[in-house]
Amino acid sequence: MLELENINHVALIGSLMQQMCVYLAVAYMLSKTPLFAPLMQVTVRLPDKLVCYLVFSGFCVMGTYLGFQIEGAIANTRAIGAVLGGILGGPGVGLAVGLTGGLHRYHMGGFTASACAVSTTVEGLIGGLLHIYLLRRHRADRLLHPMIAMGTTLFAEITQMLIILAMARPFDQASRLVAHIALPMILSNAVGAALFMRLILDRRATLEKYSIAFSAKALRIAERSVGVLMQGFDQKNCSRMAKIIQEETGVGAVAITDCERLLGFVGIGADHHIPGTPISSQHTFQAINNNEVVYADGVDVTYRCSVSKDCKLGSSLVIPLRGEGNRVFGTIKLYEPKNKFFSSINRTLGEGIARLLSNQILAGKIEEQKRLLAQTEIKLLQAQINPHFLFNALNTLAAVIRREPEAARQIVQDLSTFFRKSLKRSGTEATLKDEIEHVDAYLRIELARFAGRLDVDIDIPEDLLNLRLPAFTLQPIVENAIKYGVSQMIEPGRIAISARRESDQLAIVVEDSAGLYKPSPESGGMGMNLVDRRIKIRHGEAYGIEVSCEPDQWTRVAIRLPAEEELVTC
Amino acid sequence: MLTALIIDDEAPSRDELKALLGAFPDVEVLGECANAIEGLSAIHRLRPDIVFLDIQMPRISGLEMVGMIDPGALPRIVFVTAYDEHALKAFEEHAVDYLLKPVDPQRLEKTLEWLRSGACPSFRQLPGVTEMLPRIPCCGRNRIFLIPISDVEYVHTDISGVQVVGADKQGMTELTLKLLQERTPLIRCHRQYLVNPDRIHEILLQENGAAEILTHSGKKIPVSRRHLRELKDRLLIA
Repeated sequence: MLELENINHVALIGSLMQQMCVYLAVAYMLSKTPLFAPLMQVTVRLPDKLVCYLVFSGFCVMGTYLGFQIEGAIANTRAIGAVLGGILGGPGVGLAVGLTGGLHRYHMGGFTASACAVSTTVEGLIGGLLHIYLLRRHRADRLLHPMIAMGTTLFAEITQMLIILAMARPFDQASRLVAHIALPMILSNAVGAALFMRLILDRRATLEKYSIAFSAKALRIAERSVGVLMQGFDQKNCSRMAKIIQEETGVGAVAITDCERLLGFVGIGADHHIPGTPISSQHTFQAINNNEVVYADGVDVTYRCSVSKDCKLGSSLVIPLRGEGNRVFGTIKLYEPKNKFFSSINRTLGEGIARLLSNQILAGKIEEQKRLLAQTEIKLLQAQINPHFLFNALNTLAAVIRREPEAARQIVQDLSTFFRKSLKRSGTEATLKDEIEHVDAYLRIELARFAGRLDVDIDIPEDLLNLRLPAFTLQPIVENAIKYGVSQMIEPGRIAISARRESDQLAIVVEDSAGLYKPSPESGGMGMNLVDRRIKIRHGEAYGIEVSCEPDQWTRVAIRLPAEEELVTC
Repeated sequence: MLTALIIDDEAPSRDELKALLGAFPDVEVLGECANAIEGLSAIHRLRPDIVFLDIQMPRISGLEMVGMIDPGALPRIVFVTAYDEHALKAFEEHAVDYLLKPVDPQRLEKTLEWLRSGACPSFRQLPGVTEMLPRIPCCGRNRIFLIPISDVEYVHTDISGVQVVGADKQGMTELTLKLLQERTPLIRCHRQYLVNPDRIHEILLQENGAAEILTHSGKKIPVSRRHLRELKDRLLIA
């Protein structure tokens, strides 16, 4: 026990600071435990409040124990726990922490015992009141501000001194005590509270940095891998994908497999992990068969390369790739060499990457189904050769044979050109030249049929003839122009087909002089809708068919396509 | 002797049929028409025994046209079509004769035999024949056009024929008042007049019990005493 007369103020401040350091060291250690997590934000939920109460009560008690006995009083850092408990947990928690700390101090006795018990409770309450005040002002962010903690503790300690003066008896002793310990205690508690708060903030910043690094990595991988696997789950694309993942995560090696074979391998050991070879690793089989993540850290669960003894890889993480109905269709494997451990970021990231790949492959399948659908539709268009057209053509032929055998020969020729082009389209793509020839044969027959009632004008610049478009794009549109347009006119009509390039677009316009277009499914015709859908599936919503109509004057159908000369693989 | 009329919008098709009919000395082709409106007029004017009627024609199909012929002047009809599943099914059901293009001469001979026997099927049961008319085919000066019923103000007969009067255009039609009364929402208001009830602006009652209709575009139509009551009933006026 110290005598007041022997106390050197500077020394007391020094001792209290030392005490505070021990106190903060304990706090730092605690900050590495999950117990600290609820303290890093303003707590609202009851379990969090409970943790808050327990932790800060602990600090309160600890502050008392670490204090110096001075003539039956204790110079201490108890206030930090009470005030911070109040600030972070609210008045309830603050009051409870203060009361706990106060009662604990009370049972230790001394002439300031009851005064300290009351003052600690009041300090907890002060922290709590600040909590409410800032929350009401919507300034919750300031609760974690070290300077605010410092100011509050400063105020709380001054209050404590006043309470000691008011309650402790004899007053002389109390006033002498306060005169000596007030300054050191006020200072050390205030600084301690600020440092404690700083600790909380730092811990929080570290966690945020981790999650920022994590999301940045994940986003970069997602960005670089867009569409790679949509083109197909094969060796070429899997190797590209593995390379991206290896570069971004920095792991020793990355492998992608389907359920039987290794499809891509990049990184350490690429000399003996050859894409195309069957899977041999037990871990991979386990991941596929049990549909689970298999982690061989190289310590508890050993990893040994099943291909080569000299393989430098020492640990592996195998994650199943899941498709429709959660069925496993392959795995992605991350490896680290023997001299390195898996970073926790990469372990967590692994599952995210697996999900990303699974989704991409799924999307690729949908894309392929769309493509198949488009091909089926072409067949449908081909099969849709209008029986009206066929029998009308034959009827025209019968009539023309009687009067002009030479003209009839020409019609037979046109008819065979038309059918040959309709039936023998090998690919799904054609040049504009092919399309025009097809339509030309069709129109020659219609010209003979409508003898004198139809006029045709085709105007396509030479340099556009090599542009490519989906086969069977033009004919259904021209057929509509006849069927729902010119053939419905009592007076003679006209069909004009023209094409032009508009920057990187090809615009083909089919115009009839009937102006009878009505936007209903029956007059639009299945042909026109199919043509539009096919173009949109292939090239996007910006392209396709636009119809405009001036009643009784004209109907204009514009087909918009990207101007592409080279063969597009589709 | 049978007189015939060919109605088809395709010239080669008409030529072919005419050539085929040339092989039958007892058939005389009175004329040929390129659309339903010309066809109606020709039927009413020439009164042929037989009409070879194409189904697919501009604006008014052959089936629609049959329903527009004055029942008193209805000839025997032979439908001609290149391909029309629905129509063919209906023809089979109602024993209506038809020819398929290109026309087979033997089939044509059979049809002619059947026609000479005097058989006359009822076209009234054919789908499309007795439906309400959405528009009235008209001839103006040098041109043919269709007036939608909603644009028609009134229809009346005079010495020259049946006049269809719209707000801003008018024309002659081959359709009779009786047929129009049956197949359109127009109401009889006078022996010589049908009025479109949607275009009536006001009805001015006169002292002699007759009345006068003022249309939306300000035209005046007489209402006879005999038809005033009927008109009031139709318009729900007490």
